[in-house]
Amino acid sequence: MSTITAPLATEEANGISAPPAHDMAAVMIGGVKIYGMGETEVRALDGVDAGFRQGHFTAIMGPSGSGKSTLLHAMAGLDTLDRGSVFIGDVELGTLNDRKLTTLRRDKLGFIFQAFNLVPTLSARENILLPLSIAGRRPEFDWFDHVVATVGLGDRLDHRPSELSGGQQQRVAAARALVSRPEIIFADEPSGNLDSTSGAELLDFMRRAVNEMGRTIVMVTHDPVAAGYADRVVFLADGVVVDELSDPTPDSVLDRMKVLGGPS
Amino acid sequence: MRAMVATALKGLRANSLRFALTAASVVLGVAFVAGSFVFTDTINARFETLFTDVYAGVDATVRPDGQGAGGPNGDSFDEAVLDEVLAVDGVEAAAGGVGGFAQLIAADGSPIGGQGPPTLGFSWTDEAGLNLLRIDGGNGRAPVAADEVAIDVATAESQDLGVGDTVTIQTVNGSGEYTIVGLAGFGTEDNLAGATLTAFELTEAQRVFDLEGRYTTIDVIAADGVSAEALVDGLSASLDGDAGGSLEVVTGEQQTQEELDDITTGLGFMTNALLAFAGIALFVGAFVIQNTFRITVAQRTRELALLRALGAGRGQVTGVVLLEALIIGVLASAVGVGAGIGLAEGVKAVMDAVGIGLPDGPLTIEPRTVVVAMAVGLVVTVFSALLPARRAALVAPIQAMGEPVARTTRRSLRTRTVVGFSLSGAGAAGLAAGLAASNGTTLLMVGIGAVGLFLGASTLAPLFAAPVARVLSVPLRGISGTLARENTIRQPRRTASTASALMIGVALVALVSIVASSIKASVTDTLEQDVAAELVLSTSASLEGVSPVAVDELRSIDELSAVSPILTGTATVAGEDVNVAGVDPATIAQVYNIDATIDLAAIGDGLVVAEGVAEARGWEVGDMVAVDYGPERVSTEVVGTYDGSVLGNYLISADTFTGRVGDGPISLTLARLADGVELEPGRAAAEQALAGFPNIDVETKSETVAAAQAEVDQLVALFSGLLGLALIIALLGIANTLALSIVERTREIGLLRAVGFSRRQIRSMIRLEAVMTAVFGAIMGVAIGTAIGFGVVSSLADQGLGSFGFPGTQLVVWVVAAAVAGVVAAIGPARKAARLNMLDAIAHS
Repeated sequence: MSTITAPLATEEANGISAPPAHDMAAVMIGGVKIYGMGETEVRALDGVDAGFRQGHFTAIMGPSGSGKSTLLHAMAGLDTLDRGSVFIGDVELGTLNDRKLTTLRRDKLGFIFQAFNLVPTLSARENILLPLSIAGRRPEFDWFDHVVATVGLGDRLDHRPSELSGGQQQRVAAARALVSRPEIIFADEPSGNLDSTSGAELLDFMRRAVNEMGRTIVMVTHDPVAAGYADRVVFLADGVVVDELSDPTPDSVLDRMKVLGGPS
Repeated sequence: MRAMVATALKGLRANSLRFALTAASVVLGVAFVAGSFVFTDTINARFETLFTDVYAGVDATVRPDGQGAGGPNGDSFDEAVLDEVLAVDGVEAAAGGVGGFAQLIAADGSPIGGQGPPTLGFSWTDEAGLNLLRIDGGNGRAPVAADEVAIDVATAESQDLGVGDTVTIQTVNGSGEYTIVGLAGFGTEDNLAGATLTAFELTEAQRVFDLEGRYTTIDVIAADGVSAEALVDGLSASLDGDAGGSLEVVTGEQQTQEELDDITTGLGFMTNALLAFAGIALFVGAFVIQNTFRITVAQRTRELALLRALGAGRGQVTGVVLLEALIIGVLASAVGVGAGIGLAEGVKAVMDAVGIGLPDGPLTIEPRTVVVAMAVGLVVTVFSALLPARRAALVAPIQAMGEPVARTTRRSLRTRTVVGFSLSGAGAAGLAAGLAASNGTTLLMVGIGAVGLFLGASTLAPLFAAPVARVLSVPLRGISGTLARENTIRQPRRTASTASALMIGVALVALVSIVASSIKASVTDTLEQDVAAELVLSTSASLEGVSPVAVDELRSIDELSAVSPILTGTATVAGEDVNVAGVDPATIAQVYNIDATIDLAAIGDGLVVAEGVAEARGWEVGDMVAVDYGPERVSTEVVGTYDGSVLGNYLISADTFTGRVGDGPISLTLARLADGVELEPGRAAAEQALAGFPNIDVETKSETVAAAQAEVDQLVALFSGLLGLALIIALLGIANTLALSIVERTREIGLLRAVGFSRRQIRSMIRLEAVMTAVFGAIMGVAIGTAIGFGVVSSLADQGLGSFGFPGTQLVVWVVAAAVAGVVAAIGPARKAARLNMLDAIAHS
């Protein structure tokens, strides 16, 4: 499996857990996630194979209930699969206990959430540095300054989240995701709560993080404009990968969504 | 880790009011711990200084064997011993003295002092260095004639007596008139811990104490160059065999230490009361703390999940919560130590005000006090936060995404049931074992058992929350009532943990009320059924008791057909310290209905044991039992058993008692009216016969019942006052929890407002929830208190607690009070809930 194209014959992929190719930052093989039991059973993921290449910006799209958030959570080790496996680099998450999983999240993953998710009692600076101080690591000040300058927060660093606008808060969250130099950043509707200008600024910043800093980003979104910033779009429906689009533009995404059954 | 510390600190600052309320309970508990230490240390240090000073001149003391440092009715020895003492090498000077009880009588005929601190009489000694009393210039002179006395300065001041005044003094030998010729101090003090002190001339002292030609002590000064130890050895050697070999010689230092121990033991009840309350405050406080942390953790789920998602380990999250607890613990304990010092000062002032004056001087604050009190506060706070901290660590990282996490209510209630029942069972077993046993570990077992039971009950409480709330909500009408009921029922754990502190508080109150009313019922039943006598004679100062001379006076009048003194003291029976009653075999049956297997007239020098005790010990009539009466160990025959009563579990004859235990006080004398004599004339005749003994109260049986009940009521009032504080802590807990749960429910409340709920309806809903929660806590408390109370009372049945009293009205009052308290506690939270901005509330996540 040197490259992964969707859709795949998912049934055959089930149970396969060979290490992925080396240019993959993260891979899911045969991912199944079931909520509820019997009549109320929901297959949030129904055999998903997906790979996320290093130094690429991938968007995951799909209608509500398609399983895109579950996919993200499982990729990030926040949720566990019922079947199948997830690799971050060549480490399979299913083999890790909570302590090792925590360490992996701390050292290799970054997050940007829809609801900003800053610690309200800490200043912007402290929020950005939070992953480093959790890990007990010394911040690299050049890198910190560079990240802060890139997101444009210079004069707001000593403010509390409540004193910042939504766009500023999300830029703090983005800076936080970058500061520990994670191998891969997961973003869940990062521009979902922002006005279009702030959203554009944030997405532009994320694009630059990939281009200029060589980061890997996986982003869930339902916004074709946001997806237009990505290198590739993976489409989900009913828990399976149904399509994929390289070098998307908002228009091409929208077209593809129409084919797949309307906007999310 | 710096960020974790910062997070903890900032979390505290953001919730500072909540945590201040939480800390209040720790402050209170620590204050009582520190206060009791400071108070005890101060007493010890002050009296040590005083006694060391007073006894500085005494190198050795000769006293009757096994007496310890002087009870007023202790043994005595022939005064000829003094000459032998003076003849011993190394003796510079020696003086013999006597002591006993001497009751000053005020001009209106009422006794002065004696309620609590003793009324002490001494012989005056002119020997410099051996006189414990000191008369300063301008305060008169020492008594030299038979009709002269010196009394202590403090008593003189409080009674407005001075040099030249005449005062009546009653002793074991009746009473007489004396002229006050001097006002004496005890060492540097005006008084000895509130005791009244009277000094007589030596021969007069020997007469009034019924000790003609005898001494109770000889104090000795060593010649230059002779050590106290050498002096004691010399004296012991030459006095060996004198006075039937019943003398012992101790150093002045030892005598001082024993006197000191007596005083500090006597004042120890204050220490114990303060420590007991500290325990209750901290125990109730622990629930409040746990609850506050539980809710702040719940509120911060999102934040904690974020920390977890960003890579914080479980230990780190637990650490944040525990660090907060640690900081609160340190701050609250520090404040508590300060408050405790103030408390000790306050207790000292109160004791001064009620006449138990402590020697002047600064408070003694040992490093140990600060260390122990701080440690107690810290441990309680951190320990209480442990469970919430552990729960914080279980927050799943995915909760940072705003994903709802499936509740596992059913399963955890099952675990809870198992844990709760195990805890309760172990607690009940401990309690039962503690109550059944009767040695030193008893109280500890009872305490641990009770704590286990309380913990078990509070674990089980959620199981009862829904059913009880369902019943309580029957009268509720309208949508507010319905929602309040649903909120209370749907969240049984929140309801129960909010109510837990109140539950414990009310349980303690109920327990005390039940035990007290059982004591009252038992005393009343016993007195009314068992006591055949119409008159009960006793002294308010039980230490002296009724003089045997007074008993003889009563026996000489025709209006009484039987006069029966009852002596009480302690002995060691088969290795256990017990109360022993000495009864008059000839008359006891006429004044007291004792259901014994033998006629008590035939008790001889045998022992009659309560049935329950005999059964527990496996004693049969005819068995020989080792009884240790202090100096002597005697093998005594069990001659019979009886049904047990307020007289205690062990009866011996009065002769055996005086012969073995000593001239123990006659704590009670029962008198039967002669045929045809009416109650009031009979009482008047008895009072007339006791004209020389104004300290003896003559009461009818019903007056005695009333007095006994009043005494119990007083105790209950004191306890309730202390427990009231525990209830205030509990109330703080409810207010705290409600306020926090409003924050927790911001979205729900906002939604209600959005769909048209008025502010008033919101307020009313919160208030009803608070009332239901408080009443639930109170009812649970009453149930637990009643269960424990019943256990305590029934296990003490053979100790005289024969009847179970259930103070129904009182308990209903507590439940109603809890409801009112619930309304009060809800004022702030209800207002806060009603003021929530609708849109903010809905947007709040």
